Amino acid sequence: MKPEINIALMNAAQEILTRFSPLIEDEYEQSRLNSWGALILISAMKFNQSYSSLVKENNNIINWLTKTKQIYSKELLREIDQIQVEEGLEQSILDEQNQLLRAILVKAHKEVDSMDDIDVKKDCLKLLREMHSHRKVSDLIGLLQPADS
Amino acid sequence: MESNNDLPSLFISYYSKFTDKDLSLVSFERVFGGASRETFRILVKDEVGSEEKLILRRTQESSLIETSQSTEYLAYSAYQGTLVPVPAMIDINEDEETLGAPFMLMQQLDGIAASPFTPDAYSPHEEELGEQFWSILGEIAKKDINDDFINQFDNATEDPCWKKELDKWVEVIKEDSLSIEPILDAGIRKLYEKPPKDPNKTSLVHGDYRNGNFLFKENKITGILDWEMAHIGDPLEDLGWALSPIWSWQDRNKPAYLIDRQASLSIWEGSSGLTIDNNDLKWWELFACVKGMAIWISAGNEFKTGKNVDPINLFSPWIPGDIHLEIILDILEGDLNET
Repeated sequence: MKPEINIALMNAAQEILTRFSPLIEDEYEQSRLNSWGALILISAMKFNQSYSSLVKENNNIINWLTKTKQIYSKELLREIDQIQVEEGLEQSILDEQNQLLRAILVKAHKEVDSMDDIDVKKDCLKLLREMHSHRKVSDLIGLLQPADS
Repeated sequence: MESNNDLPSLFISYYSKFTDKDLSLVSFERVFGGASRETFRILVKDEVGSEEKLILRRTQESSLIETSQSTEYLAYSAYQGTLVPVPAMIDINEDEETLGAPFMLMQQLDGIAASPFTPDAYSPHEEELGEQFWSILGEIAKKDINDDFINQFDNATEDPCWKKELDKWVEVIKEDSLSIEPILDAGIRKLYEKPPKDPNKTSLVHGDYRNGNFLFKENKITGILDWEMAHIGDPLEDLGWALSPIWSWQDRNKPAYLIDRQASLSIWEGSSGLTIDNNDLKWWELFACVKGMAIWISAGNEFKTGKNVDPINLFSPWIPGDIHLEIILDILEGDLNET
């Protein structure tokens, strides 16, 4: 069995950041290389998850919009009703669907913001937190100490 | 624009003429410095061997933030000889013939700049540097500015300070966004919904006052840099930006990786002579996230459209962008829990 490509990329990133970058004396070129090291690390860590994260995020949005749909305006309700759930989509189509769903979610959140229902407001932020956690890379900053500008 | 390969020879030819001396170049290196200018650290030597350390800031063809060079020059000039340490300005040149693009030349100050993402960058001098960092920011806010000075900045409109700045950055987000970001949208809505009061005193706002944008030598701050986003506005804007948890992500109790928040605010109030309205400061702290997101989004757009493929433009929307979204969420959740 071949070693997984994302593991290879992670090793490459670590070598760039810890072995090669310190050898470069030019500050600007070193910063550029560090940025590339950081990006390779991110892509290696996200490599296997990008498709499943998108599927999960789209499902979460659809579920939340469906669960709360009785509170929205007629116009928004029409848009929510038009959402079609399809499985086995290519990543690019999934991405497009994600953007459409995010646009509807923004409208829904706007309507939620204008209401007095604290619980539904909290629930909406919980969904945003969950979505963010699928893409979250902020905790990588500690791993990338030499890789900032 | 001239390529960077030609720049050293163009520079020495220009500067020899400017000083009327027979100069030679000892070193010429590019460093990171601000989002809209290329920055070079230069060492020149004259015929008797005296050396001079210089910083050259040249406008880039493509930059994250479109800023006027004269604004930056004006800001540096405003604080010469004050408690705000800034480099002495040598020249400003708006033509494209001399060095291929407009540029500014200034003296190089002693000291080093740390990365804003390195937690122990100021150890063991956090206390002394913290005292100076927040006190200098207060001095920036305290400076009296007259109408003539204000009129030299191009952001003079009738709108309140908060609206001018928020509209400007929201416009950048609209123009450069590559995808829809519901967290950011929620943050922007919140800002428009509950704006702060207009300040009793408008100030010159640095626009990017944070750790990483000052020089220090051991326990002394020797220079405040990167004034390219300077403008007239609410002094709380700089405070909100400098306090942003992104600049102390791994130790959020110590803004800018220096000293704790309460001590920072007390020093700023003492130095500026201004009193902080906590609700207004909260608004400016959320604003800092939206402004940050505008900058990171703009960087991503530059990379994606091929205008500027510096990898930092790809890195910015990933990690710093991610952090600012998380801070927006923290603020929105905190507000909701308070109600």
